[in-house]
Amino acid sequence: MGFSSWIQERLPISGDSLKELTNEPVPNHLKHWWFCIGGTPAYLFIVQIITGIMLAMYYKAAPETAYESVAYITNEANYGWFIRSMHKWSGTLMIAAMVLHQMRVFFTGAYRKPRELNWIVGMLLLIVTLLTGFTGYSLVFEQLSYWGATVGANISDNVPVIGSFLKNMLLAGDTYNANTLSRFFVLHAAVFPVSIILLLVAHLSMVRVQGVTEYKFKGEENDEKTHFNFFPDHLLTELGIGLFLMVLISSLAVALPAEMGAVANPLATPEVIKPEWFFYVAFRWLKLFTGSTAVITQGLVIAVMMAWPFIDGAVRRRRPNSEFSVWVGVLAVLAIIGLTVWEAAVAH
Amino acid sequence: MHLPMTEITKNTAEGTDRRGFLTSATTLAMTVGLLASYGSCFAIGGRYLYPAHPGRRAWQYVADVARMSKGDQVVYRAPSGESIVVARQGVAGNIEDFIALSDTCPHLGCKVHWEDTKNRFFCPCHNGTFDAKGKGTGGPPGDASQELFAYDLKIEGNMLFINAPMERLI
Repeated sequence: MGFSSWIQERLPISGDSLKELTNEPVPNHLKHWWFCIGGTPAYLFIVQIITGIMLAMYYKAAPETAYESVAYITNEANYGWFIRSMHKWSGTLMIAAMVLHQMRVFFTGAYRKPRELNWIVGMLLLIVTLLTGFTGYSLVFEQLSYWGATVGANISDNVPVIGSFLKNMLLAGDTYNANTLSRFFVLHAAVFPVSIILLLVAHLSMVRVQGVTEYKFKGEENDEKTHFNFFPDHLLTELGIGLFLMVLISSLAVALPAEMGAVANPLATPEVIKPEWFFYVAFRWLKLFTGSTAVITQGLVIAVMMAWPFIDGAVRRRRPNSEFSVWVGVLAVLAIIGLTVWEAAVAH
Repeated sequence: MHLPMTEITKNTAEGTDRRGFLTSATTLAMTVGLLASYGSCFAIGGRYLYPAHPGRRAWQYVADVARMSKGDQVVYRAPSGESIVVARQGVAGNIEDFIALSDTCPHLGCKVHWEDTKNRFFCPCHNGTFDAKGKGTGGPPGDASQELFAYDLKIEGNMLFINAPMERLI
């Protein structure tokens, strides 16, 4: 009896139906590399899980030991500096790739009916990933970690009605205390990654069930074959991108390794304090408006982003072929870039 | 105008051979590249997971030789938390007079203590006994020919030093 027959007697799944299920016909436009940015954050997420598990082997989540354990990883553990730097750069690139992917989906109108739900799932993925990044850099327990967590919790305190409740849930108390760090660690290492996995399964299932939005570019309208096989063609493209990403992350880890700032000092806020780059836009927005106004307007912006497929649908029902969404998108991107660069360029 | 049949056949066969070779070569190159790159990652990962300083030890001061007479013992607490019995058993005035033994029974990890009247170490958990040199003489350690773990000692400038484990528990 061959091995495959032995397996099939116990798991009645035929190789042919499995091939049929997974060998999705991929539209030709995915040969353009910018349509493959969706797989990039998924690949980087796997890198994050592997490097994160390795870091967790030495990390100790308590205020007395966190900084020292990160110092041990960075300075003493074999290749600890490399694993930590890979984790940092992979996180940065993951968020950047998600934003680029979202922009591609937006500007190609791929969020439109019947894909509105998938857009919302994608937005949730972005939000959870940003929260994962926030809780992640809070774990080092350097000055940025401590004051970033304090400021973040005080921002949530400004949410109307439930603000105080949110702050207490985040910090395990009214202020940063002995239980805050372990709470952030569980969120960062367990709750958020599991949420990302579940959302990713929903995201990819919907893509598989609905199919990829199809485009034809100039010069390709008369192509006879409009699709190509996932196995091995698209998979090889994704593997090639994966290899490129590993080279990129490794190079960044060596050229610009993760460093350690001063240990957290609850008695002294640094003169210049900034969050990680992906929160610069929100940080600058907070400096332009007062507490509750800033928080409420940011919440409204996120709500509008979530609901955009329906807003766009309503506008296009009245004015078919309207380019309204493109112009709103361009303005939004310019605003985000502008606020981010502004925050990066100045100390205060 | 058509090419002669033989030439067409020759070109097609060559073309197929060349394409086949290039496909195989690039597949091989891709496979080797993937194995080398991910293999390196896994090798680095494995190295990272292995302790950076396994079994780190250092010479630590125990006592002044002159202050220890025959029969005296000191319970030395290593930075790793282990307690070690350092005893003087001779009067020759050299390192042979001294012995440093772990007070952890090799059977199942209970603490042994010195019984001076019986000239032995005794483990209360399962009545294990050890002679003055730490060799198991009775009970489960004796049956299994186990010994109390011995630590290296040295004398420098009339001071006694022990080669103690340095990995801290907390």
